[in-house]
Amino acid sequence: MRNRATTPLRQVKIRQSWSKYNLYNLTRLRNPVVGNRTFFQQKWTAKSMARKYHGEQVRESQWERMFSRRLRTVVPMSPWKLAEDDGSGMAAGRGAGLELPSKDSNYTRETPYTTMTFAPLERRLDVAIFRALFASSARQARQFVVHGAVTVNGKKMRYPGYLLNPGDMFQVDPERVMFATGAPKDKFDRREARIERKKAEEKKEAEGEEGTAEESKESEPEAEPKENESEKLDTRKTLQGLLSQAKNLISKDKNVLPAKRKQELRGFQKAVRRVMSRSGASQSVLTDNLEDQFSELMTLLKAKKAETKGEKAPKESKESKKTDSDSPAASESKDTKDAEATDAAASENKPTEALTEAFRKAAENPEEEVDTSELTEEEFEVLKRALVQMRDNPIDSSKPYATPWRPRDYMSAFAFIPRYLEVNQNICAAVYLRHPVARPGYSEVPTPFSETVSTGAYHWYLRRR
Amino acid sequence: MPRRIHSQIVPNSLLPCRSSSSPASSSGIAFSSPSCGLLHNLSYSRPFASPLPANSQTSRPFSSTQTAQTRLRQDMFAWLSSEGAEFKNHVPGSTNYISDVKARAKYPDMVLRGPSRPFPLNPNFVSESVLSEELRNEIYERVVVKKQSVRAVSVEMGVDMRRVAAVCRLVEMEKRWRQQGKPLALPYARAVHEMIPTTPLYEKPSDQRNNPHESINDLPVHRLTDAQIFYPVSESRHFTRVDASRVFSAAPATTREQDAKQAADPSEIVNNINRHSSSIETVGKGDEEQPILQSADVRIPHPYLIAHERRRMANPQEHRENRKAYEERLKEVEAAEEEHKRYARERRERRLTRVQPEDSRFEFRIKDVVVSKETTGPDGRGARAPGRRYGVPSSDRKKGQVKIPTKVEV
Repeated sequence: MRNRATTPLRQVKIRQSWSKYNLYNLTRLRNPVVGNRTFFQQKWTAKSMARKYHGEQVRESQWERMFSRRLRTVVPMSPWKLAEDDGSGMAAGRGAGLELPSKDSNYTRETPYTTMTFAPLERRLDVAIFRALFASSARQARQFVVHGAVTVNGKKMRYPGYLLNPGDMFQVDPERVMFATGAPKDKFDRREARIERKKAEEKKEAEGEEGTAEESKESEPEAEPKENESEKLDTRKTLQGLLSQAKNLISKDKNVLPAKRKQELRGFQKAVRRVMSRSGASQSVLTDNLEDQFSELMTLLKAKKAETKGEKAPKESKESKKTDSDSPAASESKDTKDAEATDAAASENKPTEALTEAFRKAAENPEEEVDTSELTEEEFEVLKRALVQMRDNPIDSSKPYATPWRPRDYMSAFAFIPRYLEVNQNICAAVYLRHPVARPGYSEVPTPFSETVSTGAYHWYLRRR
Repeated sequence: MPRRIHSQIVPNSLLPCRSSSSPASSSGIAFSSPSCGLLHNLSYSRPFASPLPANSQTSRPFSSTQTAQTRLRQDMFAWLSSEGAEFKNHVPGSTNYISDVKARAKYPDMVLRGPSRPFPLNPNFVSESVLSEELRNEIYERVVVKKQSVRAVSVEMGVDMRRVAAVCRLVEMEKRWRQQGKPLALPYARAVHEMIPTTPLYEKPSDQRNNPHESINDLPVHRLTDAQIFYPVSESRHFTRVDASRVFSAAPATTREQDAKQAADPSEIVNNINRHSSSIETVGKGDEEQPILQSADVRIPHPYLIAHERRRMANPQEHRENRKAYEERLKEVEAAEEEHKRYARERRERRLTRVQPEDSRFEFRIKDVVVSKETTGPDGRGARAPGRRYGVPSSDRKKGQVKIPTKVEV
């Protein structure tokens, strides 16, 4: 389906999309003029405005069949209030209820019925994917469905118009979600990826030649020592990988990162490199998981607290996974707003500085033994966090998005998840709990238009023009 | 299809270079002319912070063509570089909607409280909080590991029952993925949780109860209550919710004995109705027969909480006894629900014949076909009843028939 959902600037058309054009239009959006216009004209304008946002990928006749004049609403009840009286107060007085000063503001607010006009469209699979923040536009969500990246209740669903039933679980391939919501690659990233790919191909060819030769010559027993060798080299390799990642980080974010942070990162990089060169002889420990890597690094650094920390390490890693709010993306955004840096950020930076100080010393005079026993628990925590980040959000040029992953620009202005969905972002799965409802003062259908527009649209589709 | 630009390059090449700092040949001039910005989506090499040419006339003084789009684009990029720059990156721990940014610009020192509205023109839509990771794990822990009932957890955590069930499903799946070593979208999840408000897990259970995630006792507005009814009642009559619901479904008023019974023990009647839904009174005859509308006391998801509140109001000092009574009541409700489920399952099984031939991968489940007035409906056209019926044409060629699947079995 050709994308006709353009976002022109001359006429403000709001779309289900996170583009900056859309954001700009959203700031310019005004209520339509109603004075001096016939009722028909008002309804027509309202309907056309609303339909540009709500299900523009759905044909008008299709939507007219979906439209229902019945609008789902709920009233939140308090058991305490129900227990307090049996409702006879409502019939007291002159029959319209006794006038009491109402405490709960919910009951004084009106239910925005007509904002629920387009609620049937929220049932569509493509719209639900967009609402769950798995795609940057409804069109993209539609493409994901058509391309077979979406499952409903574990079965592949290729129809974007599938109407979700309450309790349906839909999943999108996490790679696609990361691509849709992540910042795109710039030309340097693409170039890097190209070079990597070429290198990999060359390597493959070379290996293929060698492998065929070896296979023809050598038998099984000779393969085993080879494996051992690779195991031995593993530590070094992983650490080297970490190093190069840090290096890439620095080289990539030159414009974004302030000088201080760069210095820190360089210090870190240098220190790890030095550790690596020194421990070149002892490469016996197999580093499978993060904890081992960490303790390895610590022992290599001759940190005296390493052993005591080693016991606690698994617990901490879990905690840091959970509470870690310091992804590279986040820290970047923090750095850009360095002037108004929060206290928390400042306190986070301190241990890093101390750590880098130690690292710097080590880097300056390699002969001298480094005494890192002064490192506090916080500093260990920071180092650990850095390692966790590197593992969770690695630099990988083979990905179709900029790595390390960071949210795409202007995403935050559109980020909200309505209550009728329960989303688990880790696995990119969501459950459609129930149909969207309106309650006094609130409506669950996300619409950028005011109630005048949605009322006009509702009355248009009542077909009494 | 790209727009053609040949007409612009020719006169421009004769003109002196506008941006003398970048001696980039004639093509460079063509690119820097604002109208070409349409073709080259946007050139990042040119910093937007620097003021763009105020009037586009300088680059093409002899042209009489209107360049309306260009000015709009200029305005847009000027906005993106000034006010719009706030939206580019998110602020961890707070929302970054248009209204938020405006409020922040107006009152820089004020801490924003309450829900924020993503759409400036729509005050009825607020960005509501989602469950934080800790709260999610706690719910899973309670339901799956500690084997507490969904109902109890829902009341304690202030989370809707359907959401509790969904959370258990999702966390279970996440655990499986972690076990299998499948790649997760961790940085994405972290970023999203930084952008939108989240409901935290409180240490004290009382805090959790006082700050619920959402309203757990939502009463759906019934269709019968849409109509506005003028119903004359004598002043002396004690007209309650129950009476009102009877009026809405056009049922005859209750007798005095019934009223007295209701007033004596209201929660018992609610309990009975919830346990035996078939005991509900009906109105109408034949096809029109339907159960009468129940009052809010019956129809809310957690009706036993009303009885609990009544008891608490009657004996405000006896915390422990109240709690005990509540737990007993909860157990009763759960047992009744379990019983109901078991009965439904057994009934389904009784109607079903399972046949599994030896050495077969398949199990055949055979159900008796019932084509009666109950299944086909009063007009004989009910979609639920199987088979072709005389005089009832198949509607699958009609306009608007859904051909894509309408449900996916788990």
